[in-house]
Amino acid sequence: MALKIALAGNPNCGKTTLFNGLTGSNQFVGNWPGVTVEKKEGRLKGRKDVTVIDLPGIYSLSPYTLEEVVARNYLLRERPDVIINIIDGTNLERNLYLSTQLLELGIPVVMAVNMADILEKNGDQIHIGKLEEKLGCRVAEISALKGTGIQKAAELAIAAAGGKKPPVVHTFGAEAEYALKEAEGRIGSLVPEEQKRFYAVKLLERDDKIGEQLQQQLEVEDLISGLEKALEDDVESILTNERYVYISSIIKECCTKGKRQAVSVSDQIDKIVTNRILALPIFAVVMGLVYYISVTTIGGWGTNWVNDGVFGEGWHLFGIEGIFVPGIPVLAEAGLQAIGCAEWLQGLVLDGIIGGVGAVLGFVPQMLVLFMFLAFLEACGYMARVAFIMDRIFRKFGLSGKSFIPMLIGTGCGVPGIMASRTIENDRDRKMTIMTTTFIPCGAKLPIIALIAGAFFHNSWWVAFSAFFVGIAAVICSGILLKKTRMFAGDPAPFVMELPAYHMPTLGNVLRSMWERGYSFIKKAGTIILLSAIVLWFLQGFGWVDGAFGMLEEEQLDHSILAAIGNVIAPIFAPLGWGDWKMAVAAVTGLIAKENVVTTFGILFGFGEVAEDGAEIWSILSASMTSVAAYSFLVFNLLCAPCFAAMGAIKREMNNAKWFWFAVGYQTILAYLASLCIYQLGSLFTTGAFGVGTAAAVLIAAMFFYLLVRPRREYGSRAVNVRGMAK
Amino acid sequence: MGTVVVGILVLGVAAFALCTLIRDKKNGKCCSGSCGSCKGCGRPGE
Repeated sequence: MALKIALAGNPNCGKTTLFNGLTGSNQFVGNWPGVTVEKKEGRLKGRKDVTVIDLPGIYSLSPYTLEEVVARNYLLRERPDVIINIIDGTNLERNLYLSTQLLELGIPVVMAVNMADILEKNGDQIHIGKLEEKLGCRVAEISALKGTGIQKAAELAIAAAGGKKPPVVHTFGAEAEYALKEAEGRIGSLVPEEQKRFYAVKLLERDDKIGEQLQQQLEVEDLISGLEKALEDDVESILTNERYVYISSIIKECCTKGKRQAVSVSDQIDKIVTNRILALPIFAVVMGLVYYISVTTIGGWGTNWVNDGVFGEGWHLFGIEGIFVPGIPVLAEAGLQAIGCAEWLQGLVLDGIIGGVGAVLGFVPQMLVLFMFLAFLEACGYMARVAFIMDRIFRKFGLSGKSFIPMLIGTGCGVPGIMASRTIENDRDRKMTIMTTTFIPCGAKLPIIALIAGAFFHNSWWVAFSAFFVGIAAVICSGILLKKTRMFAGDPAPFVMELPAYHMPTLGNVLRSMWERGYSFIKKAGTIILLSAIVLWFLQGFGWVDGAFGMLEEEQLDHSILAAIGNVIAPIFAPLGWGDWKMAVAAVTGLIAKENVVTTFGILFGFGEVAEDGAEIWSILSASMTSVAAYSFLVFNLLCAPCFAAMGAIKREMNNAKWFWFAVGYQTILAYLASLCIYQLGSLFTTGAFGVGTAAAVLIAAMFFYLLVRPRREYGSRAVNVRGMAK
Repeated sequence: MGTVVVGILVLGVAAFALCTLIRDKKNGKCCSGSCGSCKGCGRPGE
């Protein structure tokens, strides 16, 4: 018989780890809210008829946050056969608050007390038998991380699913129980018997979404006022207090605490890491190190090997002089010539496919190293602190740290980052977050960063580091600018988040996350990048010479279809220092996928031909523009409208065409103006050149500075003539 | 002959790439991009 098991619990209690353990799926385990917004499903290992659903982490079944609404809608509408409520054994008091509400749903519940290994380490004890008696359900002690006890939890859940309806053990005080009984009577047959209690509680709590679910507004205001008068408090506080009294009694009877340090190790680390003065410099040093190791050292060595060896002339196996492995272009060319393949098709394969795709794949080592570090920082708990640190700064500029969480997610890909903005309740802040999330470089932009760093700045680590902080600066400046406009004015929403304890992540988790992202990148190279490379090769390989259309020679590139298109748009980018049609086309192809910028360069600058003449492709690129122009190009591609997939996500999340075009327009204009200022002012400082462009850049910079520092207006307030009132 | 063989191979690879993209789009995945934790294209439950 098909069964559905729902996993419910607080954020960071180990639900997704348990889900992975039960189903064998490789779901990534993150440490901050917003990682699990949608529910995930999987089959229980060894039981194809049992489906496990991983619900978003929630603190209660109130309707305040999207995660809570998603979770409770699922529980009420889809009615799983059993709920496994995972509770963090080291933090029972907070976790049991949700448990008391889950137990009112009328669905069988099994408790899984997680972190059994940490409990044992701390010398704490939970008396399982007593806990089962107090809660009225079966309890299993588990360690989701180590995999102990999870089989038992699954067996208890399957047994409970087939059992009779669970009794409600927790009762409120006499006055509250009376009000609940009356409310249940008024609900009548609108809901099944076992669900009446849950609905009655929510009605008394004035839960406005419950009325929608009952499809009828029930009048209970008299019951609420009666209760509030009797107990001299508001009804939510009354019910919450009574729940916590019950929880306290559970903890008193069922838990024995061991000896512990006055201040935990996590708190000691946080004293430094979240320190008012040290937090930001530490974050800058950490990210600097991450980019240094990823782009310049370990990652850089790997990329050099792939670019010069695998996709170049070749390489010595394990560095042994005698064993030389020819590069893919060399092997491919030899093979194609041996079977007598036509010249044009050889060109497509070598210059188009290998040249284009190879240019992007060359950066895989750097990306893998970066993803590994980001996964480590995420899994150990540091990234949660970053959101907390950024909240302090963001708040000064009208945003909250909650807006930083989508941006952190966006360091992988902008699409889930944009979607994670759903966790922001305030509509204005949500829109602003959607608009600014893609300013932080995503994984797809890393090849562009690495390309510019390698070709123009000798693989310097500070290029990637500065790209990241240019993104942050763009977010902060946008926050300041937009918050001073009528559209976005208003105070930032409060930000409450849990800082989970630091822990050493498992190597498996880190490597799994690294591979998941890296594999997605490689898969993208084999699909969208490959197709783009074929189209680009055709467009640059064919054109009109002396009125006749046909395949072009290498030196006739400027007559190609691509050049014709590029020459139309190139003048737009001339003030930015890269008015050449190749750069313009590369920037436009980046709209399909940001990696396409590198693909386009790879094709247009003959990456596939490096085996023939041995020239460093990137030195050919570096001769095409100045370093200042290259940095301007980099900043434009970092800040401008994202790829089509991310634009699609913006359109869906904005749910309004006008707002979508405003967002994309804002990003592109900001990118254009920033790049213009960088090139014009950079040229002024490096070469002393002064022209119309420089004057425009100075004006733009001055205007920008004014918009940043101008005082904020209070929208919605009315001027009052005090003198008039005095008369 | 070599041209035909290579041509068929290239067409096959391109067709496979296109079919993968279309299938992923239908299944609610965005662009097979480097997301890791991609939730798809905003269609809840898919």
